[in-house]
Amino acid sequence: MGLLDGRVACVTGGTRGIGLACAKAFLDEGASVVINGRDAQKAEGSIAELNVGDRVHFIAGDVKKREDCEAIVHGTVAHFGKIDILVPNAGGGSDFAPVAQMTDAAMEDAMLWNFWHTFWTMRTALNYMIPQGWGRIMAMSSVEGKMGKPAISSYVASKHAINGLCKSAAKEVGTMGITVNALCPGAIETDEMRTAGPPAAEAMGLTYEGLLEVFAQQSAIKRLNECEDVALVAVLLASDAGAGITGSMISIDGGTSPY
Amino acid sequence: MGKLDGKVACITGGTRSIGRAMAEAFIAEGASVVVNGRDEAKGLTCLEEMNAGDRAAFYGGDASKQATVEGLIDFTIAKYGKLDICCLNSGGVLNTAPVFAMTDEEWTLEIDWNLNHVFWGMRKALQHMMERQSGRIIVTSSVEGKLGKPGIPGYATTKHAVNGLVKAAAAEVGTLGITVNSILPGIIETDIVRETGPDSAIAMGVAGYDELIDMFCQESAIKRPNKVEEVAAVAVMLASDAARNITGNMFPVDGGTMPY
Repeated sequence: MGLLDGRVACVTGGTRGIGLACAKAFLDEGASVVINGRDAQKAEGSIAELNVGDRVHFIAGDVKKREDCEAIVHGTVAHFGKIDILVPNAGGGSDFAPVAQMTDAAMEDAMLWNFWHTFWTMRTALNYMIPQGWGRIMAMSSVEGKMGKPAISSYVASKHAINGLCKSAAKEVGTMGITVNALCPGAIETDEMRTAGPPAAEAMGLTYEGLLEVFAQQSAIKRLNECEDVALVAVLLASDAGAGITGSMISIDGGTSPY
Repeated sequence: MGKLDGKVACITGGTRSIGRAMAEAFIAEGASVVVNGRDEAKGLTCLEEMNAGDRAAFYGGDASKQATVEGLIDFTIAKYGKLDICCLNSGGVLNTAPVFAMTDEEWTLEIDWNLNHVFWGMRKALQHMMERQSGRIIVTSSVEGKLGKPGIPGYATTKHAVNGLVKAAAAEVGTLGITVNSILPGIIETDIVRETGPDSAIAMGVAGYDELIDMFCQESAIKRPNKVEEVAAVAVMLASDAARNITGNMFPVDGGTMPY
């Protein structure tokens, strides 16, 4: 018997990295899962790897677009009949630069990708969760949702914004059987990190390896986190035992964040 | 297969409420557990109720005494051969008085129970765990470890202090296979809260026990007390091998009460 038997989850950015690890952990505990990604071809490999037949379903969509975010959540309900668990996980940043040189486009991109996508999917999902009186939302924030590094203010600001959104929403639905939390992982070498890390490092005046070393050295464990660390906490929060944990910003960062 | 198969845990204040829920959850996941408590009779009842045979034992003594805390760890290692998970859970509101009226004696008792007990246990457990390059230390802090209510300065102070202790220790042993975390529960109607709540209510200027509980509930998002099982579920997670990369954390179980 799994902790999430009969539950339906939706994970944006679920074909790789942290999202895929969450999807896998939910499936292992008995849930059915929608994974979203931009590229149906990339998803094929992930779905084959998960090897759970009908219990996983892919919905293509670009989370930087409102209509796609809403369609991902509506599509989850259309396919599996309900949505119990939402993990707005997709995210990243681009064109990193110090604030003095940061373009509007770069800031907008990070806000769309991280913040607006979380808001749009959360709003849509809450409208299903409130009537059913049960729900779990675990938004993917970051250690940078509590701290701040130079030259990635777009990422940092958008992740801080997610934390604020979660705290407010948690208070709105706290008596309705719905919890809303933010997960704050430390640096993990995901595909997205391998893509966005080198330019972010360059903007900070570091090599990519140097940037990863900075993250590792700031932690107590002196190494990076892993996708499975995040999935472990996501399962706990999604379970019935997670009912009393809400409005929290849970650090999964090897002891990096001071609070 | 349990998440804690073959692990050995000890829990201060383990015969009732939060500690008891941790003990039961650990046993359900395959661990052997030594529970500590002051009252021999309650300890034996606890063992009887948990019905875990050789996988549970009781060590009597007052957790605010160094000899008890260190004795518990020695006893656990002697009985089960090792210590994997050390839960420093005992604690509570011993004296209710505003700062201006708190006596040195009352203050010292509170420090011994909620802070020194954690330090003594952590130090002793780490000496064992560092040799084995493996271990989990889980400290029961509180929402009052980040907040602060009038009339319980000793409690708020010591719960803040254990969070600092946890963060420092986590940084010291982060590469040694040992994690050190605290759990910060919101109000839970434990036996201790039922015993000390009426006095706390008076000290806080609240009409009575029920009003005290309601005050905590209203500060949360869930508008109800937390449950011991919610804390135990987090403890199991933190105790598991899978949580090797989660350390130095103050893990909230407070229904959305704390702002950070």
